[in-house]
Amino acid sequence: MSPRATLVLLVMAAMAGAPAPGASQVSDATVARDTALERRVNAVASNLRCPVCQGLSILDSPSELAQDMKRLVREQVATGRTRAEIEAFFVQRYGEWVLLKPPAHGANLTVWLGPALLFLGGGLMLVVAVRRWLRRSGEQSAAPPGTQGELLARREILRRSLDELQADLAEGKLAQADYDALKQRDEAELAAVRAALTTTKPERASATAAGGRRMRPAVGWTVGTIVFGAVAVLALRGAVAPRNEGDSITGMQFADSAERPADNPRLGELEARVARDSNDHPALLELGHLYMQQQRLQEAADVSMKAVQLRPTAKETAEAFAHLGMILWGANELDAGRQALEQALALSPDLPEALLYKGIVLFAGANDPRGAIGAWERYLVVAPPGAETARVRSMLEAARQAARD
Amino acid sequence: MVNWKRLAVPLAGLPVVALLAYGLTRDANIVPSPLPGRPAPDFVRATLGGDSLRLSDLRGQVVVLNFWASWCIPCLQEHPLLVAADQRWRDQGLRIVGVVYQDTPTNARDWLRERGGAWPNILDPGSRLSIEYGLFGVPETFFIDRRGMVAYKHIGPVSADVLADWITRLLADTATGGQGGMP
Repeated sequence: MSPRATLVLLVMAAMAGAPAPGASQVSDATVARDTALERRVNAVASNLRCPVCQGLSILDSPSELAQDMKRLVREQVATGRTRAEIEAFFVQRYGEWVLLKPPAHGANLTVWLGPALLFLGGGLMLVVAVRRWLRRSGEQSAAPPGTQGELLARREILRRSLDELQADLAEGKLAQADYDALKQRDEAELAAVRAALTTTKPERASATAAGGRRMRPAVGWTVGTIVFGAVAVLALRGAVAPRNEGDSITGMQFADSAERPADNPRLGELEARVARDSNDHPALLELGHLYMQQQRLQEAADVSMKAVQLRPTAKETAEAFAHLGMILWGANELDAGRQALEQALALSPDLPEALLYKGIVLFAGANDPRGAIGAWERYLVVAPPGAETARVRSMLEAARQAARD
Repeated sequence: MVNWKRLAVPLAGLPVVALLAYGLTRDANIVPSPLPGRPAPDFVRATLGGDSLRLSDLRGQVVVLNFWASWCIPCLQEHPLLVAADQRWRDQGLRIVGVVYQDTPTNARDWLRERGGAWPNILDPGSRLSIEYGLFGVPETFFIDRRGMVAYKHIGPVSADVLADWITRLLADTATGGQGGMP
């Protein structure tokens, strides 16, 4: 049996005045289960993309559509659907677009493998570039010293020196043995210079004219590598760090903090009271009221149900009946919802919440604007002015118009 | 060999450029919907006029399901076109259905009273129907054929051409026997 059907039966049983069997064990663990439920809801919602603020998950987006989607997620989690089933539900309607973490297949692989490929490619380019640079500077130190210009000048000096040696020998200034030794020395050096000239390309020679310029690429590469490494490490740390379940992919900075249970001290206080004593009737009623305000319908239904079971005929229980009625009616259990509202008004004919809900049910559900007008007019008489007053006035106006049409 | 090396860097950048060219020339607001080709999700809802409307009761007719709101500016732009389409094709089996998205009944009624439109409009509390149809925002318009299948989803305000094109095509489709696939 689905939880909703169970709820309907429980409300029926409570209205008949009969204690529902096994119901207390359901509510004893209410608080613990609520937080567990909320965690699961958040975990699922954090991977669903909001159709309005498309960079945010529906957990983070404050848009109404996202809130409505989150409500659907909560309902489905409460009825025992798995994360995969809920995601499939949304994918069927919005396409895979709706998943912030797209499944790794087909074209989606670009997203999964792209960063790794780019990272590897960047590293590869770096390695190639550094190796080329190292090889180049190595070649330069192995080459004979001097630029092409120096080598040419040296060749000229050696040629002239050889000519002079020849002249000295002819004039008798030089002994034959000395001439042979000097000539051999100069010719050996000339050969080395000629060899060097053939391996030294003109552009290489001019590019390396200044020794300081050779150091600049080294500094550049070193700084570049360090910056690249630092950015990569910082970026990757955030991207690949394990996320706690329920933490959002798109960041929590835009989340509506007022909606988080821990932020309402009164709520925590009441939850603690109910955890200590699951039969604390006033606490259950007030908790139901707060949960309704926050649209946490499953929790509101649980505590209201418990309150109804505890004291089904007490005047104060009317509020719990009213909440159950609205929840059931909203869940399309129209008859059960209407009956619960009747029960609320039977216990407390002027309960503002019951009058407000009754008007909504009559106007929107039963197309009975006159009945709605009666309920809302009474509401404005008995309810203290508050946030709902303006809303009721505008609904009343609409109902009067519909009644005239 | 030298040529190959010279080409290597631009070649490596080519996929990135191609990806950017693809990504940057698309309208990010147009997300393909999985709905076309599938049966339109059925619903029963109260209309603004107080009746109840079931989509599957309109089977056999061409339905244009238009999501709108009184606060939506582009909806102002397309509304006269819908009025004209309703007048022109209603007798041939066109049924326009409006879905009021995140709006109050009062505002929706006032808006319609001022701007005309004789078709039923339904409310969508909790956006359940909008989510059922994978709605991103308003206006969005679904063209549903006579067999109740979604033929096309239009994001943003519809133009007169889009309306004429799809309505005549869908009206003609089942008039001629109708098992042919959608274009």
